[in-house]
Amino acid sequence: MTTATARTGVDARKILSENGALGGLVVLVVALSILAPTFLSTQNLINVGVQAAVVAVLAFGSTFVIVSGGIDLSVGSVAALSAMVGAWSSAEAGLPGPVALLLGLATGVAAGLINGAMVSFGRLPAFIATLAMLSIARGLTLVVSQGTPLATPDVVTFLGSNLVPQVPLPLLIMLVFFGITGFVLSRTYAGRSMYAIGGNEEAARLSGIDVRRQKLVIYALSGLFAAVAGMLLAGRLASAGPQAAVGYELDAIAAVVIGGASLSGGVGRAFGTLVGALVLAVLRNGLNQLQVSPFWQQVVIGVVIALAVLLDTLRRRSR
Amino acid sequence: MNLTRRAALAALSVTTLALTAACGSGASSSGGGADISVGLALSTLNNPYFVELKQGAEEAAAELGVKLTVVDAQNDATNQVNQVQTFTTQGVKAIIINPVDSKQAGPAAKAAENASIPLIAVDRTVDDGKVASEVTSDNVQGGSLAAIELGRATSGGVVHLQGIPGASATRDRGFGFEQGLNSGAIKVVASQPADFDRAKGLDVTTNLLQSNPDLKGVFADNDEMALGAIKALGDRAGKDVHVVGFDGTPDGIKAVEDGTMAATIAQQPKVLGRQAVEQAVKAAKGETVQQVVSVEVKVVTKKNVAEFKK
Amino acid sequence: MAELLRAEGITKRFTGALALDGVDFAVNSGEVHVLLGENGAGKSTLVKVLAGVYRPDSGSVRVADGVNLAVIYQELTLVPELSVAENLFLGRPPRRFGVVDRARMLRDAVGLLARVGLRVDPATPVKELGIAQQQMVEIARALDLNAGVLVLDEPTAVLTDTETDRLLEIMAEIRDQGVGLVFITHHLDEIRRIADRVTVLRDGRSVGVLPAGSSVEQMIELMVGRAISEQYPRRSQEPGDVLLKVDSLTRDGRFTDVSFEVRAGEVVGIAGLVGAGRTEVVRAAFGVDHYDSGHVEVAGRRLPGGDVRAAMRAGLGLVPEDRKGQGLVLTSSVGENLGLVTLRSATRAGIVDRKRQRRHADEMATALRVKTSGLDQEVRELSGGNQQKVVIGKWLLADPRVLVLDEPTRGVDVGAKVEIYELINRMTAAGRAVLLVSSDLPEVIGMSDRIVVMAHGRVAGELPARGTTQDEVMALAVQEFSA
Ligand SMILES: Nc1ncnc2c1ncn2[C@@H]1O[C@H](COP(=O)(O)OP(=O)(O)OP(=O)(O)O)[C@@H](O)[C@H]1O
Ligand SMILES: [Mg+2]
Repeated sequence: MTTATARTGVDARKILSENGALGGLVVLVVALSILAPTFLSTQNLINVGVQAAVVAVLAFGSTFVIVSGGIDLSVGSVAALSAMVGAWSSAEAGLPGPVALLLGLATGVAAGLINGAMVSFGRLPAFIATLAMLSIARGLTLVVSQGTPLATPDVVTFLGSNLVPQVPLPLLIMLVFFGITGFVLSRTYAGRSMYAIGGNEEAARLSGIDVRRQKLVIYALSGLFAAVAGMLLAGRLASAGPQAAVGYELDAIAAVVIGGASLSGGVGRAFGTLVGALVLAVLRNGLNQLQVSPFWQQVVIGVVIALAVLLDTLRRRSR
Repeated sequence: MNLTRRAALAALSVTTLALTAACGSGASSSGGGADISVGLALSTLNNPYFVELKQGAEEAAAELGVKLTVVDAQNDATNQVNQVQTFTTQGVKAIIINPVDSKQAGPAAKAAENASIPLIAVDRTVDDGKVASEVTSDNVQGGSLAAIELGRATSGGVVHLQGIPGASATRDRGFGFEQGLNSGAIKVVASQPADFDRAKGLDVTTNLLQSNPDLKGVFADNDEMALGAIKALGDRAGKDVHVVGFDGTPDGIKAVEDGTMAATIAQQPKVLGRQAVEQAVKAAKGETVQQVVSVEVKVVTKKNVAEFKK
Repeated sequence: MAELLRAEGITKRFTGALALDGVDFAVNSGEVHVLLGENGAGKSTLVKVLAGVYRPDSGSVRVADGVNLAVIYQELTLVPELSVAENLFLGRPPRRFGVVDRARMLRDAVGLLARVGLRVDPATPVKELGIAQQQMVEIARALDLNAGVLVLDEPTAVLTDTETDRLLEIMAEIRDQGVGLVFITHHLDEIRRIADRVTVLRDGRSVGVLPAGSSVEQMIELMVGRAISEQYPRRSQEPGDVLLKVDSLTRDGRFTDVSFEVRAGEVVGIAGLVGAGRTEVVRAAFGVDHYDSGHVEVAGRRLPGGDVRAAMRAGLGLVPEDRKGQGLVLTSSVGENLGLVTLRSATRAGIVDRKRQRRHADEMATALRVKTSGLDQEVRELSGGNQQKVVIGKWLLADPRVLVLDEPTRGVDVGAKVEIYELINRMTAAGRAVLLVSSDLPEVIGMSDRIVVMAHGRVAGELPARGTTQDEVMALAVQEFSA
């Protein structure tokens, strides 16, 4: 009995020391529990999970890209476009819900493939290629929607609701995608080549990794994850909006970096990204509960992002 | 981050420009004003409200037989100045501006004035500059009406979902709302920003419900946030919590009809757009224009909702 | 002889490794003090402690008044995008009225480059230089600092004999001017030529200080703890079918009409001076760079040009010369790097057999005696020689039919070299073939069966390795062609 307790103690410390951001999250949660009496209720924690889901799924997709040394600025727009295509297909074109859902997801993959082609075959810097896609996808969202929100098909709405009372699907989907991301990164050929390409593209190429094809895969995955996130977002609102997810790419990137990934590539993990997304969601939830002034909220968010990354950097340096 | 964002928006607006051009927006010429062209610089098209405003303008242009060119600033004030400057070099006879921010529209007004092209402000005023005509609906008055309506529907604690911090609609509607509060039995227990965004309206309301479980009402600076709040409230919306929105968008009107939204303050974006074009054409022809055109805001409730359905 | 620098009781621990354990070390004015030790013995770590890059866990470093220290680190520290001249004067460009005086910078650069015997235009971006030329730029930069103590961490690893000769001359020159030099090398003959004393490190401890003129055997014994009977243990055998055929390969301006064959069971060496085009030829053959005419065949099958993966499928492998730039993924672990080339073959339905990968990596790390705290250690934390072993190891694991080794033993200690040579023997005994590009003439002669000598982008001739002298190889290597 005593040994068991001792072991968990050690494990907890090990996990904390390997994940700087997790330390940040714990500090944040403890501080909020003290400051806001309603923060630590089960319901509120579930809420936080649900609110983290969209950014988390986007960020999982971005983790692939960032680990491989790239960047995907288009994920917010692609999320909105995918959801809009899904909603339009059912509401305007009259297609069955599941078909509409698949069309939406395919849209995300297509956008990702185009990003990947621009980066690997067109040799555009990822920043520029995906910036262009950010614009194109948002523009197409407006074209498809004619500027007005469209109702989502029932399957999509179902994705955004509770499976059974107290068990929201977005939360489950986030956890499933966390699992998928972890699996892809650590167990698959695609995942292992992401680390190699991000760490040293030339060495990866000379070791026989088909860098260009892998980049297509990487950006397509990011597009797919963006589409899923878009469906979640639209599902929660039962409506796909033309202005949905504006600026979410920055939240996604922040989550990945808070999670310990390096923007120069080669480093990053699914668990870190999950923690990063939770940090952002906990923070926004807490700021609401503490009723911090709107002008100060952005300041606080910025400071926390900087502190979380700083904590991680300091931890690394002390090794 | 902000830099990235700006770069992104700049790129975005280029595409949007291309798209607007591609789809064509003006009316084909018929009648007397064939050679008159008018520029309309919108703050954004990312919002149904402005899409309707644009439609109203296009309808009026078609009827009057003038050519209307529409551009969208993607809510970026700097961008808008550039767009107005571009208009001045394209030989338009009048410019209609829907400022991204009233306080930042000065340079755009200056550009039009330098080119001696009459400027008409629509929906929002230009704080610092010369305009031939102002076509607006009164946001402050609308805010007050919302407070009165919410006080009529309920009493007790309410929350205020604010728009993007510092935006003029946020300021005006919020100010009007505070003023209107004096007349009722409601009390604001929390004011938090949700950036005019439906998803954020949902999250913020969910979070505020945790600390204020016995909430009685919600006032949102636009319908999008109000619809998010209704999502957060679930079954409680329209029963023990009453929500008042602003703008009277189609989704908002529908929520009023369904009874989940107690009221929305309908502006009449189509009328705004139409009036603005009418004033612009007058100005272009050198006729006298009306300095201030005030388009009524209307409180939409279940009683009169039928009038607003399209 | 005045003492310029003294370090006492230096201990430095990294997570998982005690790199230095109570080391004493001193440098006098006017001496060349060699630091000798196996890969991972702690030499570079000691250099970084002397330079103040690392703070020792205990012990002290004292420097005599007014003496400054210049260091040429083992890993190059040049900025690839900047020109040679800008790199030479990085952080201290000549100024005039507060702005950089470009004309003077270029002029001064010419003088500095002439001093080390490097003939390149100072306006060339450093990334366009070969690795040996980059090393010479580093040396020129350090010389210009006119430091009282100059530390050189394996500068000759990437140099050819001519350049090494020039460097040793310069070192002798400045020693005679009273500079104290610390010199690290794995080439024992260089030690014989220049050292005034030798401090031997083993597993982080100083195990002895030898005087000038100590025998090579003595040094090896002290360094690896055992004698090495045979430095080049090549076991030749009857060659089989042609496995690699390079036919009239030409890339305009780089190499012309290069032809040679490598047969099963053979080790063919490619010798030549820096800039002779050896690396360019093997890179083109492996599909890394394109070529203009000619062709490459592996086991009778013609390779499409410029396609690394096709070359690999046909059974070709290449250990590149630049381990940091082209060989290693520094952000990944030792195990990941060792498994990189075999990643594809260990994948079924997109999923990597990680257990198998780890098992093989573990076996290879043991076979090459890679000094690491475990397969999960980041490869960047390994010592230079051990990193080199990882680059070779990942290719040995793939077991290609023809393995091209471009400067494979660069920075590898004498003991580990022999282990790598034994693995080459094992490959050829199993019917594989090896193409060995090396600037280390005794190595090429000692480990090859045949030697192709290149000069100015052409094949200058071919020699049997047995019985050939270094002079014969050099005679071909400096041959001029009538254009
Ligand atoms: N940053 C680091 N983190 C962890 N371990 C390190 C680090 N730097 C060096 N080491 C370890 O310290 C030991 C000594 O390394 P060092 O680089 O000093 O060897 P070296 O004698 O220079 O070897 P070589 O001849 O291969 O260059 C090695 O086992 C190495 O793995
Ligand atoms: Mg070293």
